[in-house]
Amino acid sequence: MNRVQHHPILAEPPHRKLVSFSFDGMTVQGYEGEPVASSLVALGIHTFSFHHKDGAPQGLFCANGQCSQCTMLIDGIPRKSCMTPLEEGMDVRTLKGLPALPAQDEPLVQAERRSIRTDILVIGGGPAGLAAAAELGKLGFQVLVADDKSKPGGKLVLQTHKFFGSEKDCYAGVRGIDIAGILENNAKRYPSVKILPNAPVVAIFKDRKAGIFLNYESYLLVDFTALLVAAGAREKALHFQGCDLPGVIGAGAFQTLVNRDMVRAFKRILIVGSGNVGLIAAYHALQAGIEVAGIVEVAGRINGYQVHADKIRRMGVPIYLNTTIVRAEGTDRVERAIVASVDERYQPMAGTYRTYEVDAVLIATGLASCNEFLQQARSYGIMAVAAGDAGEIAEASSAMFGGRIAAHRLAEMLGKRTSVNPEWEETRQVLASRPGDSYERSPIVPSKEWRPVFFCSEEIPCNPCATACPAGAIHLRPLRGNIMDLPYFDGSRCTGCGSCVAICPGLAITLVRRVTDDQAEVVLPWEFSADFEPDRVFELVDQSGKYLVSATVHAKRRVASRSTWLLTFRVPVDIASRIAGVRVQAEDATRWLEQEDTACIDLDTPLCRCERITLGEIVEFIKANKIRDINQLKTLRVGMGACGGKTCTQLIMKAFKLAGVDPSEVEPATQRPLFMEMPMSAIVNEGMHKLGGKEAGSRGAP
Amino acid sequence: MKHYDVVIIGAGSVGVPLAWQLAEQGSRVVILEQEASWGRGQNRAAIGGIRATHSDPAKIRICLESIEIFKSLESKYGFDIEWRQGGYMYVAYDEKMKQQFLSLLEIQKKAGLNIDWIEPERVVELAPGIRADKLVGGTYSPGDGYASPLMAATAFHKLAMDAGVEFRFGVRVDSIKKEGTNIVSITAGDEEYTADLFVNAAGAEAADLAHLAGFELPVFPDCHEAGVTEPVQRFMEPLIVDILPDADSGNYYFYQANTGQIVFCITPRPQIWGRDKDSTSTFLPLCVRRMMELYPRLRNIRVRRTWRGMYPMTPDGLPIIGYPEAARNFLQVVGMCGQGFMMGPGLGRILTQTIYAGGNFDKPAGSTEFGFLFDELSITRSFEHAELLK
Repeated sequence: MNRVQHHPILAEPPHRKLVSFSFDGMTVQGYEGEPVASSLVALGIHTFSFHHKDGAPQGLFCANGQCSQCTMLIDGIPRKSCMTPLEEGMDVRTLKGLPALPAQDEPLVQAERRSIRTDILVIGGGPAGLAAAAELGKLGFQVLVADDKSKPGGKLVLQTHKFFGSEKDCYAGVRGIDIAGILENNAKRYPSVKILPNAPVVAIFKDRKAGIFLNYESYLLVDFTALLVAAGAREKALHFQGCDLPGVIGAGAFQTLVNRDMVRAFKRILIVGSGNVGLIAAYHALQAGIEVAGIVEVAGRINGYQVHADKIRRMGVPIYLNTTIVRAEGTDRVERAIVASVDERYQPMAGTYRTYEVDAVLIATGLASCNEFLQQARSYGIMAVAAGDAGEIAEASSAMFGGRIAAHRLAEMLGKRTSVNPEWEETRQVLASRPGDSYERSPIVPSKEWRPVFFCSEEIPCNPCATACPAGAIHLRPLRGNIMDLPYFDGSRCTGCGSCVAICPGLAITLVRRVTDDQAEVVLPWEFSADFEPDRVFELVDQSGKYLVSATVHAKRRVASRSTWLLTFRVPVDIASRIAGVRVQAEDATRWLEQEDTACIDLDTPLCRCERITLGEIVEFIKANKIRDINQLKTLRVGMGACGGKTCTQLIMKAFKLAGVDPSEVEPATQRPLFMEMPMSAIVNEGMHKLGGKEAGSRGAP
Repeated sequence: MKHYDVVIIGAGSVGVPLAWQLAEQGSRVVILEQEASWGRGQNRAAIGGIRATHSDPAKIRICLESIEIFKSLESKYGFDIEWRQGGYMYVAYDEKMKQQFLSLLEIQKKAGLNIDWIEPERVVELAPGIRADKLVGGTYSPGDGYASPLMAATAFHKLAMDAGVEFRFGVRVDSIKKEGTNIVSITAGDEEYTADLFVNAAGAEAADLAHLAGFELPVFPDCHEAGVTEPVQRFMEPLIVDILPDADSGNYYFYQANTGQIVFCITPRPQIWGRDKDSTSTFLPLCVRRMMELYPRLRNIRVRRTWRGMYPMTPDGLPIIGYPEAARNFLQVVGMCGQGFMMGPGLGRILTQTIYAGGNFDKPAGSTEFGFLFDELSITRSFEHAELLK
C-alpha cells in the first residue's frame, strides 16, 4: 500500500484498525474511519467514476467535500468518497454513468425536525473561527462553531511546517498541526462555546436559520441571532488541456491526502504556482517521500515568501519562472505533464516545450474566499461578519487576529459594550502583509565563537528567532518597527544552543564556528528522517540551492520541542558561512524530456467539470446568444452541477474574455442553497432505519 | 424618442415568445426588461411542467398551442430544451378524490384533452415505487410533459433576436404618458418609446405597471419554493401531482427531468403573499416529507438546490388577457398564476393572430375565433369562480 512510512514530523496515528472492504467486487483493505477516497488512493486507485455524459474518468480533486468529483457508489448509493469514512464490509464501486436510485420502497418512517438555538453561529472551526469563538465565549455569548471536518483546526491540521509570525501573537515556530489543538482548547475553555465537528452548513435561510448536514447523515436547523463566517477559502482551479484528468488536484487536496491521511498518494508530482501553498506542498511531498519534478510559475517572480522558495530549492526542487503548464496527459489518470516558457503575453513559446513524467499535477494558483454565506446572510438582512480567509486571503496567523476582531465587532453589533484592541488590527495587518523589500547581507567570516548566519533577506512578518534566543543576541533591525524587520546577530553571547536554528520556519538560519585553520563547523536544521547511516554523504548547498560541497554528518542532535534535528558538518572554512542547507532530493527526480511544440487545444477541455461543458462550447454560446449574465450559462448547465459552481465560477471569465466580452459588463451569478447536496432521508431525519447498509440518522442532535 | 410597432414590458415567459411571434409576422418590437437578461424574473423559477390538463377551456386551448410550440422548438428550430412528453399524473388515494377527478374528466375530454382515468396497476407502472397501499388510481394525460425553462427561455430569446426583436435590459419603466384612454409613450432608462401597441407582460410586477398607466389590476404575487436533485437513471415518467392538502401545505408536484434530476415544488398553506424570493428553512423538510410519504424511494436521492419564485395570482386563479378601458392600446397579458411558462408560447401565438386579425379594445379577438378566450379571461370579469383544478 502507498502509505507514508516514518514521517519525520507526523506520528503514525494510533489505534488505526485495518478493515476489509470491497472495491468493484475485489476484497481490499484500508484503515477504519479514514475517507474511502484515501483508502483507494493508497491502493493506487485513482479513477473513481466515468462521467455520464462522455464517459470521461474522474477522480479525487478537492478532497474537501466541495467538488463532488470523487463521487462513487458506496453501499449502492452515490456518495462523496472523500467525505465517507471507511467501514468494515463496505461495498465501494466505480460509478459508471448515472446512478440508479435503489428500489428501497418501504414507507417513510418517522420524519422529524431537529433544531438548536444559539446566540452566534460560527461557520468554520479553523484559526479564525476558533479564535473568534474563544473571544465570544469570554464575552459570555452562547456560541456554536459548526465545522465540516471531523477535527477542528481547518487547514492547520495539514500543516507540518513551523509557522511564521511571532511567538507572542500567533505561535510562530510551532507547527500548524499543534496550533490547531491550542486554539481548540482555548475555545473550549468557555462553557458557552460548543464545537460541532462533522457539521457542514448547507444553507442560510431568510428566517435566520442555518441548515447543517450533521454527521453527513441528518439535518439540524440552527436558530441563531448573528453569524460569524469563518469558512475559509477554496482553491482556485486552473483550466488547461487535461486539467480534468484524475491526478490533477489542488495542493490543499494533496496536503490532505499526505498529511492528514498519511497516504503516499503519488510518486512524482509537478506543482503549478509558486505561492506559499505551492511551495509548502513541495516540502510536504518531500517529507512524505514523494518526488517533486519542479514548480512552475507563470509570472516572472516567486509569489510566496523568498525563504520558503529558497528552502525548497535547497532541498533540490527547481522553480521555473515564466513557465506555464500546457497540458496533462494520460489514459485514465495523469501520466505526463507538458510545460513551456511563456512570452510577455503569457503564451507558450515555440521551442520551449518539455515533458515531465509525473503522476500528479498540483494546482496551487491561489485561493478564493468562501464568502457565499456572508453574502447570503447580508442579502437577507441577517447580522453577519466574516473573519479569516472568508474575508480576506492571508496567513493563518493573521486569521487568528481577524477572528478576535470579528468577534468583538459582532459583540458590538449585538449591543455588548466592548471594543476591539487597536493593537490587534495593526498586528493582523502586519501578519497579512505581502513580502516587503529584500536586503543584501554582508559576508560572514567564521570565528572561533559560535554565531548564527541568516539566509533571510526579504521582509516578511516573522520574528521567532529573536524571541527564541536565550541570550537575547538576535534583534530585528528597526526599520519598520514591527516584525517585518529582518533579524541580525548583535555580535556576542552566542552559545551555539541552536534555538534559533530549530525554530526558524524558513530553515534559514545556520550556526558556524571555526574549528581549525581551514575547517569550520556548520549546524543545519533537518526536518527529515535522521535514521541514516553514519557514512551517508550529504550535498551541502548555498542559499539558493547551488552545490558547494559534500560532507558526512559530524554530529546530530534533536530539539524535541521543535521536532527538528540539528546536523553538524565539518566543512572548509572559506565556504562555511555560505552553506545554507542540505539537498534532499536527487537531481534525477527533476529530469525532463524535450517535447515537440503542439497546439494548445484547451477549447476542447471542460471548464465546467461537473457537467463537462468545454470552454469552446461556452465561448460559442456566449457569442451566439449575446450573453452578458453568468446566470444565462445555466442554459448550458454550467454551474448547475454537483459542486454548485464552486469550481467553474473562478474560471468563467476566461470564456467571456475569449468571446470578446468585457468582464466588467458581466452580471454575476446568483447563489442559492444548498451549498452541499444532501439526501432526502437526511432532510427529514428519517428514523433509525436501515438504509443501504448504513445507519442513517442514528446520532441525535447535540 | 424611438418608435416601434409594439413595446413589450417584460422579457419573461410571456413577453419573449410573444415578441418572437410578432416579429416573425413583421412587427418592429422592443422589449423593456428591468433585469440583466431575459427570463430572470419568474420564468427561470418555473419548474418546467407543461400541461394542457386544466379545467378551464381557455387555458386548455392556450396550453395545447404551447405544447405544439415547445415541440417545434426541437423538431423545427433545432433547440434542445429537454422536452419530454412524459405526461401528467394526478394521483388519488381515496374515493372522494377519485370522484372529483372523474367529474373533471368530462369537462377536460370535452375540451379536447387526451386524458383518462388509470387504475393503480398503471399508476405503479408509470411510477415504480410510488406508495401502492390505499392507492385508488389517478388521471393520466400522456400529451403533457416538461422541459427546461432555462433552455426554453434562451431558445425563445434567440429566436426573437434573430427575428429582429430588440432587447433593452436593466431598464425600469419610469413613466407612462397618456392621452385620454391611450398610451402615447413609455419612458424607461432615459429613453422614451412610442408605439402603436404596448403590452404588459411584467409578470409579478404587472399591477405596478398598470398603476403607472392609471388603472388597477387584481394581480398579487405569492411565493412558492422549488428544488432540484442530483440526476439519476430514469425511473419515473410522468409529472406527479398530489392535490391532497395537509396541515402545512396544499398540493405538491414533481417530475424527473429529461436529464435525470427530480424537480419539485409545493404550495404553502397558508399562502405566503409578497415578493420575497429568499429561501426559507420550512420548505425543504415540508416538501421532502410529503414526497417521501408518497414516493419512499426518493429517500436516497440528494437535493442539490432550492429557489423561490412568485406566482402572480388573480382572485380566481385564471390569467387576465385583454385591453383595459383606461388604456385601450395597452394589452394586458398578466396574472399567469404560476403558469406563465406553460401558457406563454401559446398566448404568444394566439395573441399575435388576434393582433394581425385586427384585434383591439373594441374587438379583442379581431376576426379570429378567440373571442371566448378574451371573454373568459377578461379584466372586467367577476373573478368569483375559482378554477376547479389549479
